[in-house]
Amino acid sequence: MADVNNALSPHGGRLIERVMEPGKGRKKAEEAKSRLPIDGSRATEIMSIAYGFFSPLEGFMGSRDVDSVCKDMRLQSGYIWSIPIVFDISEQEIKEKRIKPGDAILLTYQGQPFAVLELEEIFSYDKALMAEKVYGTKDEKHPGVKRTHAYKDKLLGGKITLINPPRINPPFDKYWYPPRVLRQKIAELGWKRVVAHQTRNVPHTGHEWLMKGAWFAANADAVLVSCVVGEKRAGDYIDEAIVLTHEALRKSGYFKEGTHLTSILLWDMRYAGPREAVFHAIVRKNLGCTHHMFGRDHAGVGTYYSPYAAHEIFSQIPDLGIGSVLTLEWWYCPVCGEVTYSGLCGHEKEQQAFSGTLIRSIIQDGVKPPRLIFRPEVFDLVMESGDKYGFGSPFVTEQYLAKRNPVITVPPMEV
Amino acid sequence: MTQTFPINIWINEERLEKLQCAGLAHLAQEAFAGLKKLSVPTNEQQRDTILRRFPTAKFDSATTKSIELLPRDAKDRIFDLVVAKKTLDVIDAFLVSI
Repeated sequence: MADVNNALSPHGGRLIERVMEPGKGRKKAEEAKSRLPIDGSRATEIMSIAYGFFSPLEGFMGSRDVDSVCKDMRLQSGYIWSIPIVFDISEQEIKEKRIKPGDAILLTYQGQPFAVLELEEIFSYDKALMAEKVYGTKDEKHPGVKRTHAYKDKLLGGKITLINPPRINPPFDKYWYPPRVLRQKIAELGWKRVVAHQTRNVPHTGHEWLMKGAWFAANADAVLVSCVVGEKRAGDYIDEAIVLTHEALRKSGYFKEGTHLTSILLWDMRYAGPREAVFHAIVRKNLGCTHHMFGRDHAGVGTYYSPYAAHEIFSQIPDLGIGSVLTLEWWYCPVCGEVTYSGLCGHEKEQQAFSGTLIRSIIQDGVKPPRLIFRPEVFDLVMESGDKYGFGSPFVTEQYLAKRNPVITVPPMEV
Repeated sequence: MTQTFPINIWINEERLEKLQCAGLAHLAQEAFAGLKKLSVPTNEQQRDTILRRFPTAKFDSATTKSIELLPRDAKDRIFDLVVAKKTLDVIDAFLVSI
């Protein structure tokens, strides 16, 4: 395997951009041999590849990359990569569409031409092996393992091109910063050091202090809040509430103007713990961040990973060119009378730990959490978001899943 | 001692009034910065049954070791049982009632 410099930013040294103007895109679509409809998860992964969030990936992985990523956490090129990015398909679909390597396949989403896949390889991979290597467990209760086992039996590898860029719908449009755009904005703002905060939660003050602590630790100019917008489960906060409340922290002055920016990342969480932490670091490096904060139980689920597994993995891999800010938790201390850092507070016996789940539970009970643990502006906006976007609930319901406004809309394109 | 896993029922004014009327205000524990909760214990078997019957509920294994996100109507029912029976030992009765 090649000896490469993993510290290059963007990852691999070059920002991948595979997005065509619709005029050129239409021409490319006309050259495609077959059409294949895709779902929302695949569409957003295509966007992440095409806009360079996943640099140096230029498409869906082939067998050698998948094998290398699963077993060695590296691409064939030698660059660190931790999560397989794959395009699964059934044998039957391959036969019906007469798909073969060398073909250009028009991928459609929402009934419109969306992207072209230049198919290089059709292959199978041992799903059990993939699940165990990536997630460190065979347990099918793990959502990532379950997802892997749900893959259809064949995988398609090849480069993709986004030929019909979708519209990002409100309220997400204001927070959509592809890597080139964000890098430009960071330069315009004069930010030299930017620390990323990964989130899929409405912020409580524990999150707020994690961000502020990371800002201090990284001696940063600003915090980039990167909200993961993707697959939702009943009971999660709705995506709209997450992005709007993070922005509210700045609008309400908990972060000064010019020190905080909210953005979105279109991604279905895999809950791969330490491996997902590595993936998050690479994606945020591609966005132009110089640091990434990792707290307790980063990207974990249940008890599959030790609480600080994501901290440990960075000492086992080469320098990724993005500083890791490794933090412990913030808790409420009744003796101190404030939210305080567990690494400093000596009232271990009195401490009252709280989590996003706990706050959701309080709100679900119809109780307004105290302002010391949940900012009133955030609470008000959570409830407003529920009324405006969540059919009366700030939490994901079956109705929200079925009827929510889509995050992206693909414009019509005649081919 | 057998390990228990609490269901936290958060106390608003309405619930506090009911507890006070039943002479049970002492059961409400201080949680955060003035917020109060009623911690109703479950054993491992009861916990697993509840998580199975209420798929949106979650056992917060990482931080609080408590059952959270139980639907509000289920919590209301547990709360009403506590008030009616004047004890926190109500989970068996709750499971029979659903």
